[in-house]
Amino acid sequence: MDPNLKEFMTVLKDGYHRIFIQEWPTMIGGALIGIMSVITFTWARPWGVVGGLRVWGDWIFYSLGLYVSKPGAFLIDSNSVITLGLIWGALAASLAAGQFAFRVPPPLEFAKALVGGTLLGVGSALAGGCNVGGFYSSISALSLSGFAMMVGLLGGAYAGLKYLYWEMEHLPTGKAPAPPKKRPFIEKLKPFLGWALLLGGVAAFQAYQFEGYVIEGGVLLCGMAFGFILTRSRFCFARAFREPFMTGEAKVTQVVIISLMISVLGFLVLKWTGLRSETSYVTPNFGLGGLLGGFIFGFGMLMTGGCGSGTAWRACEGQVKLIVALALFALTNSLTKAGINASVTLKTLVGYTVYLPDYLGYGWTLGCIFLTLLLWYALVTWNERTGKLVVDI
Amino acid sequence: MDDITPDQTLDCRGLSCPMPMLKVKKTLNAMQAGQVLQMMGTDPGTKNDIESGVKKVGSELLGFTDEDGYTSYFIRKG
Repeated sequence: MDPNLKEFMTVLKDGYHRIFIQEWPTMIGGALIGIMSVITFTWARPWGVVGGLRVWGDWIFYSLGLYVSKPGAFLIDSNSVITLGLIWGALAASLAAGQFAFRVPPPLEFAKALVGGTLLGVGSALAGGCNVGGFYSSISALSLSGFAMMVGLLGGAYAGLKYLYWEMEHLPTGKAPAPPKKRPFIEKLKPFLGWALLLGGVAAFQAYQFEGYVIEGGVLLCGMAFGFILTRSRFCFARAFREPFMTGEAKVTQVVIISLMISVLGFLVLKWTGLRSETSYVTPNFGLGGLLGGFIFGFGMLMTGGCGSGTAWRACEGQVKLIVALALFALTNSLTKAGINASVTLKTLVGYTVYLPDYLGYGWTLGCIFLTLLLWYALVTWNERTGKLVVDI
Repeated sequence: MDDITPDQTLDCRGLSCPMPMLKVKKTLNAMQAGQVLQMMGTDPGTKNDIESGVKKVGSELLGFTDEDGYTSYFIRKG
């Protein structure tokens, strides 16, 4: 073979390895999530995770006769489609990398999946979304409730870490069943399955377009992109809240902050110009709902080891603990949300709608949000050097 | 890595992030400087996190080996 061609083939091979096998740098993941967040909102709607899980939970309770009104259609409702896309993309990414394998946890971790998944469900129902819809997309949408949840998440992560320290001293972990031996045939098959899923996503988009649902088809692709990016960069919002207290490491928090800045800027432009509705993703959760919901969600995050998006993409890696947590997360979110909607008192307790530009105007809103985020950035960077906020074992 | 004899072993198979890192941190706390800890884990995230994680507590990752169904990490307490 011509040496130049040979060299080019090597470049292609390395490129494939970098994109599909090697872990992406966290910063790349964060920037891409910020960009995808803006693209998704431009296309149709902000990114969310738990909304889709709730639709699926609603369907289960509806078919059991517990709910009266029919939930949104599985393949059409945009909440459902975007989370379906996330799971689709995450599964494709972990299979393509040959990473997918069922990993069975020891007994204590099973118990934590049940309790933690429930806390994620209850917390996200109170806060008006998980770490994505209630925090990331909510702050992007210039809603003050996102900051209420952020404060709650920080408190919950701190308390959850304290609990984990206590647990290590007092509760027996138990023994996990021995991992199954790898079968070479299945290992070889995995990348092909991953590729089949990726191409299947493109085919699904064509099908949506053919049926006159091009928006929904695009939402599916956006969801897939989130799932793919999260898995490839092992992106973990839980770490952004936990690490400053656990090891003092600031990197993931810094990346989340930069990612948020990209997203905030994009949303601000889309809303200010009137291209997108100002009220989109501005929910009445500023108050007890955001704070308490954030706290409960943050604690749950430490028990399951993953936030809303993290639990979803890691479940797609075959981690049985996260699969169990994800199921509980969907069911309890559906129930709690139904409970809140049924009670006027609870609804008022959850909080108010505060759209920041109504009070500050767009310019000052941007200034205040960036200033708050930069302050958070400075605080975790200072903590990385001094370890002042690190909780010792 | 085959010629390393660990002073202590820690079984984290089946555990997912952040439990392996927390258990490593706690076990290292009780060890003498220079001693080697072998951690057995299955969480795919550990490979990328463990080096900076143990460095944060002043220890050093000597390396890891892929066994059948899990990975062994060798850490020297600093």
